[in-house]
Amino acid sequence: MLSQEDNVLLKVENLEVHYGDLQALYGVSLRISKGSIVSIIGSNGAGKSTLLATITGINKPTKGRITFKDEDISGIRTHKIVSKGITMSPEGSRVFEKMSVEENLLMGAYLPRARRKKEELLKRVYGLFPALKEKSGQLATYLSGGQRQMLAIGRALMVDPEVILCDEVSMGLAPVIVKDIYHKIREINQEGMTFILVEQDVKRSLKYSDYSYVIVKGKIVMEGPSSQLPEEEVKDAFFGIHKYA
Amino acid sequence: MAFINGNNAAASVKIIILGIIVVSLFTLPFWAPESVVMIFLLIMLYMSLGQMWNLLAGYAGLVSLGQQIFIGLGGYSLAVITEVYHLNFLLAIFVGGVVSGVFALIISLPIFKMKGIYFAISTWVIAEALALYFLNWSFVGYGVGFNIRTTYEMSTSFLYYLSLVLGLGSVLLVYIIMRTKRGLALMAMRDNELAAEVMGIELYKTKLVIFLISAFITGMTGAVLYLNISFIQPYAAFSIDWTVAAVVIVIIGGIGTMEGPIIGAVVYVILKQFLYDFPGISMIILGVIAILIILIAPKGIMGMLHGKFGWELLSPRRSVKNVRQVIHPDCA
Amino acid sequence: MEVLLQLVLNGILLGGLYAMIGLGMSLIFGIMGIINLAHGDLMIVSTYMSMVLAMQFSGNVFIALLITVIVMMIIGFLVQTFLVNKVVDKGSEPPLLITFGLSIILQNVLMLIFGADAKAIPTQIASENIVTTPWFSISAIYLINFLVSIVVILSLHFIMKKTYFGRAIRATSSDVVASELVGVNTKRIYAYTMCLAMATASIAGLLIGMTFTYSPTTGTQYLIFAFGVVVIGGMGNLVGTLLGGIILGLSQMLGSYFFGTAYQLFSGYIVLLVILTFRPQGLFAEARK
Repeated sequence: MLSQEDNVLLKVENLEVHYGDLQALYGVSLRISKGSIVSIIGSNGAGKSTLLATITGINKPTKGRITFKDEDISGIRTHKIVSKGITMSPEGSRVFEKMSVEENLLMGAYLPRARRKKEELLKRVYGLFPALKEKSGQLATYLSGGQRQMLAIGRALMVDPEVILCDEVSMGLAPVIVKDIYHKIREINQEGMTFILVEQDVKRSLKYSDYSYVIVKGKIVMEGPSSQLPEEEVKDAFFGIHKYA
Repeated sequence: MAFINGNNAAASVKIIILGIIVVSLFTLPFWAPESVVMIFLLIMLYMSLGQMWNLLAGYAGLVSLGQQIFIGLGGYSLAVITEVYHLNFLLAIFVGGVVSGVFALIISLPIFKMKGIYFAISTWVIAEALALYFLNWSFVGYGVGFNIRTTYEMSTSFLYYLSLVLGLGSVLLVYIIMRTKRGLALMAMRDNELAAEVMGIELYKTKLVIFLISAFITGMTGAVLYLNISFIQPYAAFSIDWTVAAVVIVIIGGIGTMEGPIIGAVVYVILKQFLYDFPGISMIILGVIAILIILIAPKGIMGMLHGKFGWELLSPRRSVKNVRQVIHPDCA
Repeated sequence: MEVLLQLVLNGILLGGLYAMIGLGMSLIFGIMGIINLAHGDLMIVSTYMSMVLAMQFSGNVFIALLITVIVMMIIGFLVQTFLVNKVVDKGSEPPLLITFGLSIILQNVLMLIFGADAKAIPTQIASENIVTTPWFSISAIYLINFLVSIVVILSLHFIMKKTYFGRAIRATSSDVVASELVGVNTKRIYAYTMCLAMATASIAGLLIGMTFTYSPTTGTQYLIFAFGVVVIGGMGNLVGTLLGGIILGLSQMLGSYFFGTAYQLFSGYIVLLVILTFRPQGLFAEARK
């Protein structure tokens, strides 16, 4: 298994985020190694989406630092962060409703670096998600939940990034589809892509990731290599059993 | 009863200051030169215009770009009642208000179904349509308009007192409205759309009443304004410039506050007086100031003072001890 | 009967010009969700600019137009970046009020520089008829307006559908966050959209100058036309804008036929109000928000 010391790609240090007077994150620190799948597990309102939004520049941190490949990216605008190699499959997919599947994917390859190889990238996405190829001419608004999620991940792949953040990919989807998506994520990871997965499903998160963080009420209460974290203890932390809250 | 907020010492100071201001205003023609009286006359009228726009936009969330509808209707009512029917000007002013109110009721039917920008532009379109209609109406003398001769005998002081009544009256009216159950509900709901949806019909009725009142007062303001100008024709009477003045006054002074239109009116009138020979420049300056304020201090001068120093002279908010009664008016 | 036919024809041709005026507003509202109340005034600024430049270049409107378009695009970019972008995410009132303030400033600046008298851009084509039959004639300038509008609308349509730039604009209007996540600088896109809107407004401005007289306050009237066209045709719908323009043109012409020429503008306003009351999403709307 990867040791957390080699090749840290993304570092989050003591991150604090406020929404007005409300504090959402209290000194969160993470280290993401290149080529790993890291999961962040927490219930609704625990701060997972805030964390991802801050890493991708949608929110600005009040304190703390985010470093990508030794470059400080705290608080810079999202599109700039994306151009450096980080993107996200956002919560709820957020596909471009009135564009076709293929147009959605092509939009993923908007930046010059990706646009140059867009045919190659498109081929790869269609190879991973044949369902998308079938529906390539259809408007995104007519896709099912699972297909939208695949489209969101496919679009993120088209950006040709180094890290993909996935915000609740399993939300509202049938288990069979979720399993398929996670297998694809593993496949993409084996080709070298780093993933940060944010999830509510404890079992699945531990199963498919290399390293996990558990977040409760804006604080990291537990972390460790996924294979070494006992599921029961994670679930306890998740539900805020007193020793962790 | 807390017309003035704050602890006792501060409240007393505020009452004294207000008292001095009010007394000075009432005695102005006796100790100030006519040019100054003239300026205050205009300040009072523009203050009324601003208060009414603020009532709509700042409190009720209805951004109107059509205040000139009522100014024009008020002005023409004055002209027609005094010149064509040769009746008393006070009646004419009142009729101006009534005509405006009735017209507001009629147009509320279509435009109250519209939201935000559609509402705003509709008010503007209606004003333009009205201008065109009056331009082609023989009864009001087409584009030639009217000379309003009743004014010729009136002294500046007399006109000043008329304006004073309107100006102070508008402030008092806003205060009273905002202290009623409905007014408070309105303020609470100003920025909260979900709460507004829940209130539904009640909110609609409240907004309608406020729209009518605003139209009524603006109509009377228009009548008195034209009593001053003593000549009326369609393009000027229904010109967007009236709304421009209202908007600029409220933005600069501070939208959603009671003192805002007062300060704004002072700034507006004084600036225009200083640059009387260069009317275009005064408007440009006002426009630039308004834009800068929206960018830098969106709550206007008053909002900034309130935010930084907690200054507030007039506030319709009730003092804390009365709050319980307000929230549960049906409870014992 | 011939009169009616002529009026209908004029209404349709004029509709093209009105559609051009509304295009800029349709773009801005469709993409950014804000109404630029200074739209009409910016257009008239371009009309004055074209007039001045045309005189400089001895009546060559093409050079005048080229320079005007470039200058107006720069102005649009600056206005967007420094004024509108600052308030675009603060609700619907601030952009409204800022553009209102801009409108005041522009009208008064024009008034100071050029005075209040009506002006026109003198061209020979304006007074000629290109087609004359016993039943109707087609004025050259009206036809030019219509054809130019069709070309511009089709070009925009092409840009939107087939280029990455157009896709980026559509993506931004669909979902700002998702667009940023694929690397689109959405604030820059807003600025470019404004540039496009200004370019179309400049073209419309030149055509207006050659077809009608204008003065510093004419902008208001065209703002209402633009709004009317966009409302009737449905916000954000390019082809709908063309149809909206035609309907507005026809309403005006038919209004003047039935109620007298003095009521030409008036009829247009009434039709707009009626549509706003009963079908504010427009006659051909694509659903938005």
